[in-house]
Amino acid sequence: MFGAIYGADGSSLEALLAVAQEFSPRVESVGDSRAFDSAQAREFVLDLSGLTRLFGDARSIAEELRRTAADRGLQIRVAIAGTRTAARLMVRHRAGISIIEPGSEADALASLPLALLGELANSQLPTPNSQPLPTSDSQLGVVLKRWGLRTLGDLAALPADDLAARLGQDGVRWQRLARGEDAAPLVPAVPEERFEQSLDLEWPIEELEPLAFVLGRLLEPLEAHLERRGRGAAVLHVRLFLVKTSGGAREVHDRSLQLPTPIRDARTLRTLALLDLESHPPAGPIDRVVVAVDPTPGRIVQFSLMTRPLPSPEQLSTLMARLQALMGETRCGSPALVDSWKAGAFEMTPFAPVDANVLHSHDTLNDRRVSAPPPFDSRSGRPELSRGARFVTVKNVAVALRRFRHPVPARVHVADGKPARVTIDRRGMDGGGISVCAGPWRTSGDWWKDGWDRDEWDVTLGGGATYRLFRARDTEQWFVDGVLD
Amino acid sequence: MANHALAAVESALRDRKLDRTLTTALAPLERMDPSALVPMDVAALDACLRGGLPRGQLSELAGPRSSGRMTLLLRMMAAATARGEIVALMDTLDRLDVASAAAAGVDLSRLLWIRGQDSAPADRALDRALKALNLVLQAGGFGVVALDLADVPLAAIRQIPFNTWMRVQRVIEGSDTACVLITSEPLARSAGGLTVTLAGRPTWTGTSDRGRRLSGVDLRARVVSPRKRIDGEVAIGALTVDVTDRDAPIARQR
Repeated sequence: MFGAIYGADGSSLEALLAVAQEFSPRVESVGDSRAFDSAQAREFVLDLSGLTRLFGDARSIAEELRRTAADRGLQIRVAIAGTRTAARLMVRHRAGISIIEPGSEADALASLPLALLGELANSQLPTPNSQPLPTSDSQLGVVLKRWGLRTLGDLAALPADDLAARLGQDGVRWQRLARGEDAAPLVPAVPEERFEQSLDLEWPIEELEPLAFVLGRLLEPLEAHLERRGRGAAVLHVRLFLVKTSGGAREVHDRSLQLPTPIRDARTLRTLALLDLESHPPAGPIDRVVVAVDPTPGRIVQFSLMTRPLPSPEQLSTLMARLQALMGETRCGSPALVDSWKAGAFEMTPFAPVDANVLHSHDTLNDRRVSAPPPFDSRSGRPELSRGARFVTVKNVAVALRRFRHPVPARVHVADGKPARVTIDRRGMDGGGISVCAGPWRTSGDWWKDGWDRDEWDVTLGGGATYRLFRARDTEQWFVDGVLD
Repeated sequence: MANHALAAVESALRDRKLDRTLTTALAPLERMDPSALVPMDVAALDACLRGGLPRGQLSELAGPRSSGRMTLLLRMMAAATARGEIVALMDTLDRLDVASAAAAGVDLSRLLWIRGQDSAPADRALDRALKALNLVLQAGGFGVVALDLADVPLAAIRQIPFNTWMRVQRVIEGSDTACVLITSEPLARSAGGLTVTLAGRPTWTGTSDRGRRLSGVDLRARVVSPRKRIDGEVAIGALTVDVTDRDAPIARQR
């Protein structure tokens, strides 16, 4: 059994909702929540199942509802029916109290004007993908009017097959509504839940180690709460209330952690919070700890039998937090090329690998790029090569450069316009005569700021090491840019 | 008779759970599961390694400057990322050239790059890199984890306690991670790992200074394996890495 209440003009939405929630925990706010000012927003549907044992029959419930509303200065219409649709149509049509016996919804609604369906149009969509219902002045509303239909009973009486043949599935849906049938179950409005835990400490704590135990104690019930609701934490807030100093105001140390994916594991959250607090410690002793999370729908993971699983986001988050604490925030991540001619230009991006299942479909196992090794001769321990072959050639291999992030100064003796000997003062780096060289290649750029303008040479020293040298054209100084390795 | 005696000794050791010290307790090479290996994606070298570097073991690529260590490592990482795995590089002295990695085919979004500092004292940079290596290995899930010690002074490397490498081995034992050290000389291979010693010689094309270009590196690799399981004393022969596309590898505009 469902009831619909409809507030008169000027009714407070909150007061109306409070009245509804006093009678039933399952209350549906009808209409678009963005349209609180519109008439739709002043309508609520209640699930009244079981209330007859408290208040008596349906009429008693309706009278009690009106009395409670009147006590709060509200004038409401009440309709009670076996279906939500019937209750809603009736409450819009008739003032006061309307009771429809379960099973007689179609008969009770038969005399109501067809235009009521239009008012219900966009406030109740039977399925997420369905089109809005026609309003009385819409094209389909005009069609129904042209057919001579004036009441819901007229529409309900039409043969369903013929209606579907002419208007499609939408026609069938309208007819069901006209008969007072529900197309979807009641979706109760869930009050906003707070995911927060706090603890007042008997004795202030100053170190992070005892704080770890406090955080663990707070985060474990929070994890259970999130798990019950199928949620994960998108943002973790840690609020530390510091001991009030004499004469001063009480300070609060606030930290918020944006998590890369929804996480609810208490140990992971505690580790992340502690690592963050290590790098941003509170200024004094703590006597109250509050932990809160911004909830978001939990993660659903589908593992694959075909590819190696990636580390879980919890593991990756913890790893990255530990690495950033150890190496520095900007020194861990994935490299990315940037659109620049400058040698060695790159940028760091967060390390967030995508699962291979998303990248590839079925060709993951049959790797395209890894060539199969040639046959192996088990006796000699060598690959089976054709007779007389001494070299195996691998084509299209990129020779890697080991780049000095800060170019190493060098002294270069130039003979006949090309480098002949290089001397490097840095310990561990060999200099010597140059046996082969190629160049120069001139590059320049960023002239409007700290740019570069240089001549590059690739040189091989007598010892075998191959360097990339450059001469800065403005200062005439030589540097080692990197080692080809 | 001798076989009976050997079997009895092995059985006794196995009962006391000391069979890990037995050479024969290692899996036969012919029956090595391909999924337990990380190919280098250089066919001749993979054939010599019987498929690649073993997972769950500490291996090393050793050689002097310009011997092709980084080229081979990036090629191995490119193959791993192409298979959908993620890889990590502990870059002790911040030497990675991102353009080279991209040109080698490494999927950069699947590469975790941990950059040390060139300006920091070598021992401190090394200490941080080892701690970072430990964190990455303990997190698990990486196909290849490399520690670049190539330019770290040997004096600093020799100060590392030897049990450091044993701890590393204990962390990755049984995992799917192949840990690779890039060093200037053989350093710390685990019992089941491999050492690939490299020697390289640059190859050039063209005769004039202006027309000459670096076309590649001739590599010679020598594999050292535990108890000569992979014929460790035999060099695999000459391996030529030939660069036919001259512009792409070094990715410079000239």
